[in-house]
Amino acid sequence: MSESIYNLIPREQVAPPKEKRYQSKFKSSVKDELKTNKSPNKTMGPAKVNLRSSGEFLTKHSKEPQLPEKTKFQFPDEETRKPGVPRQTEKPLMGLKSNKDFVQTNAVENIMSVPKKPAANFVDTPFGSTHPLEPSGLMPKYMKKKGYGETPQYLQKRKDETVRAQEEYNEYVREHYRRGAMKQLTEAERQTILDGLKKNWEEIHHQYQGLSVVTDTAPKKMRKERMEAEMKQLERDIELLEKHKAIYIGNY
Amino acid sequence: MSKEGRPDVPELEILSVIGFYGSVYAGLKVHPDREHFIYPLGNTVIVEHITSHRQYFLTGHTNDVSCIAVSNSGKYLASGQITHMGFKADVIIWDYSNKELYCRLTLHKVKVQSLAFSPKDTFLVSLGGQDDGSIVVWDVKSKEAVCGAPAAVKSAGTTYCVAYCNNDDFKFVSGGDGTIRVWTLDLKNRKIPAVDCNMGQLKRIVKCIEVAEDDSYFYCGTTSGDVLKMNIKNHILSFFGPEKDKFSMGVTSLALVKTGAILIGGGDGTVAICKGDKFKRMKSAKVKGASAITSLALRGNGHQFFVGAANSQVYLFNFAEFTHEILSTCHAAAVNDIVFPAESSELFATCSRNDIRIWNAGTGKELLRISVPNMTCHAIDFMRNGKCIVSAWDDNKLRAFFPESGKLMYMIEDAHNKEVTAIATTSDCKRIISGGGEGQVRVWEVSRNRQSLVEAMKEHKGAVSCIKVRKNDQECISASEDGTCIIWDLQRFVRNQVIFANTLFKCVCYHPDEHQVITSGTDRKIGYWETYNAAAIREVDGSMSGSINGMDMAPDGQCFVTGGDDKLIKVWNYKEGKVTSIGKGHSGFINRLRVCPQQKLIVSVSKDGAIICWKYPVC
Repeated sequence: MSESIYNLIPREQVAPPKEKRYQSKFKSSVKDELKTNKSPNKTMGPAKVNLRSSGEFLTKHSKEPQLPEKTKFQFPDEETRKPGVPRQTEKPLMGLKSNKDFVQTNAVENIMSVPKKPAANFVDTPFGSTHPLEPSGLMPKYMKKKGYGETPQYLQKRKDETVRAQEEYNEYVREHYRRGAMKQLTEAERQTILDGLKKNWEEIHHQYQGLSVVTDTAPKKMRKERMEAEMKQLERDIELLEKHKAIYIGNY
Repeated sequence: MSKEGRPDVPELEILSVIGFYGSVYAGLKVHPDREHFIYPLGNTVIVEHITSHRQYFLTGHTNDVSCIAVSNSGKYLASGQITHMGFKADVIIWDYSNKELYCRLTLHKVKVQSLAFSPKDTFLVSLGGQDDGSIVVWDVKSKEAVCGAPAAVKSAGTTYCVAYCNNDDFKFVSGGDGTIRVWTLDLKNRKIPAVDCNMGQLKRIVKCIEVAEDDSYFYCGTTSGDVLKMNIKNHILSFFGPEKDKFSMGVTSLALVKTGAILIGGGDGTVAICKGDKFKRMKSAKVKGASAITSLALRGNGHQFFVGAANSQVYLFNFAEFTHEILSTCHAAAVNDIVFPAESSELFATCSRNDIRIWNAGTGKELLRISVPNMTCHAIDFMRNGKCIVSAWDDNKLRAFFPESGKLMYMIEDAHNKEVTAIATTSDCKRIISGGGEGQVRVWEVSRNRQSLVEAMKEHKGAVSCIKVRKNDQECISASEDGTCIIWDLQRFVRNQVIFANTLFKCVCYHPDEHQVITSGTDRKIGYWETYNAAAIREVDGSMSGSINGMDMAPDGQCFVTGGDDKLIKVWNYKEGKVTSIGKGHSGFINRLRVCPQQKLIVSVSKDGAIICWKYPVC
């Protein structure tokens, strides 16, 4: 929108003529409807229902709610209950009668009965609140169990087995000695072997250090790998010898 | 008319005057009939009806009016003026009912500072300015001075204001720089003994005084921003305040309301109601856009009051709600140019120091103000399509503005080596031709986004004062103060013709058929020239006294209008070269004028900031 000086010229403000008052275009039809169907039962017209026959006229209490029949009250366990005590007037079945003196026997039973031991409880407050003693942990329970403080049986078994295996091995070695089939390396022999191995390792290591830095050709690579493998083998042997003090050598 | 020696010439009818001298202290008054404003404009005093805006002009001063007083009964007005150093400044008493001069009282030198009528209109007391420093009491009936005295003791500074008691015809007070005095008129001995008020340690410069209704106290507004309450009887300061929150830039005007409240106008544009001995501010409003409040004029008892600001705006206040609305605006400095948009007489634009304003020609209301602070616009023009206002400024820039929002569209920096003094546009809206103070005429190719110099034409040796372009955009004429007018070819950018005269050319106009041009300048002669060969056709004396600054040709080519330092608008018959009508009304030198495109109006602008719309006469 570009400005213009001519827009500043004051213009006469003509008030738009007042609009005619609003009148609905349905006014006449509304008027007619109001005249013709005075009460059109609101929206849908009167409900379409078949009339009853003249015999089914409205009777007294016909609009009251229909209640179910009254039933007698019964306890739910009525059937499982024992039958009632026979009355004085009732006669025993088949005329059977017992001579048991219930009064006598009850009295004897009670006299002979051992009085009930009081429950083992402990009291922890001055007001005398009691708790059962047994689950409280105040009474030694596991100490009094059978087998308390003994080595379990499976450990005993395993121990016995190892002792037996050692004895068997010792027996075997002794047997070999007796037959002269085995000899033990002396300390000096072992030391010389070790020194020899170490010397070999040092030689190879010396050569290995003198290798050229660049391993560009196949022979160089092969040589290097071979030396590495040898050194590794020697290291393993040295370790084996150093680990075990007693070394036996079989003759066969 | 007798001065011009043409008693048969009819006068032009003034339609409206836009102007108000806001810098005059207490210059805006409401007449006791409650229906008229009284305010100064240049060397005239204007009486304007508040609602119908009908104006009466009281002319008679020879220079700017410096103070105004209205008598209690409303029968008399008095106004004082400034003159040049060494001359006497007149006080004029006007008969209000007939709107004519009642008497001219001459005693003061250089400036009349303040005036006050006695309550029964018997006496007028006048206070001279800094160079005069005397107070004179005049008898209004006999039109003679009763007595006079120095306004203050020699050790005190200038006295700025004087006010009469409301009930006693023989007592008045004056105030100024370090002096507040109560004067008693001794008519028998023709003496006015004065008593200096005791202010103690307080040092104040009083700028305005109001006396309470029962004459017990008087109130002085000071430049320190507080108000002094003085007892008249014992000449002792009773109260002063507000102690804190003083009025910034001083109290510049005062008015007392019947309820006992004081209306105070501040130097920063604040208007406040104060009450009590502490001068507590009850209500206060800062008037937006107003500089110092120089006048507070109550209408009647003060349910409404008018506020005049130093930047020449007038506001109407409602006392109860303390709301205000702007009533009128005008330029506060010399108006340099006026221009109508093409083919429209409803609007015109004027330019002055600090701003460009667009006015509704019918109502005189300001429609738009474009402000560029501290810069002076020398010339303006509308693009012919009305989409741009181009203006020439004294900071060597050309500025173009949007005409509705007033926003800057573009600015050409350093358009000239000196200030830009003239501007014109071509009818295709693509070029601007500007003239500068150094004498160059430059053609610019402008669009909204791009402005480029096409050609600088360097022939003039003095400032270019006016440029007019032909309708076909192929030629233009520029008037310069070096005494030449040059017709330029706008396609080859060379000089076609040159007109020489022993004058500072101020204005030039093409006749509508563009075969002739008329020029005028400081030699007061109107020259008719042929455009084809720059031959002089005729020379007419345009004025008896002052140079001609503005000239415009009527669109039909029958008449042209001139105006200048003689403050007269003259309508001339082009063919006969005779004056057909004269317009009197301007109080300052006329800078420019224009005839509206529909030839209904003549609008002239003057150095005192006034814009006057005249009815175009039937030639």
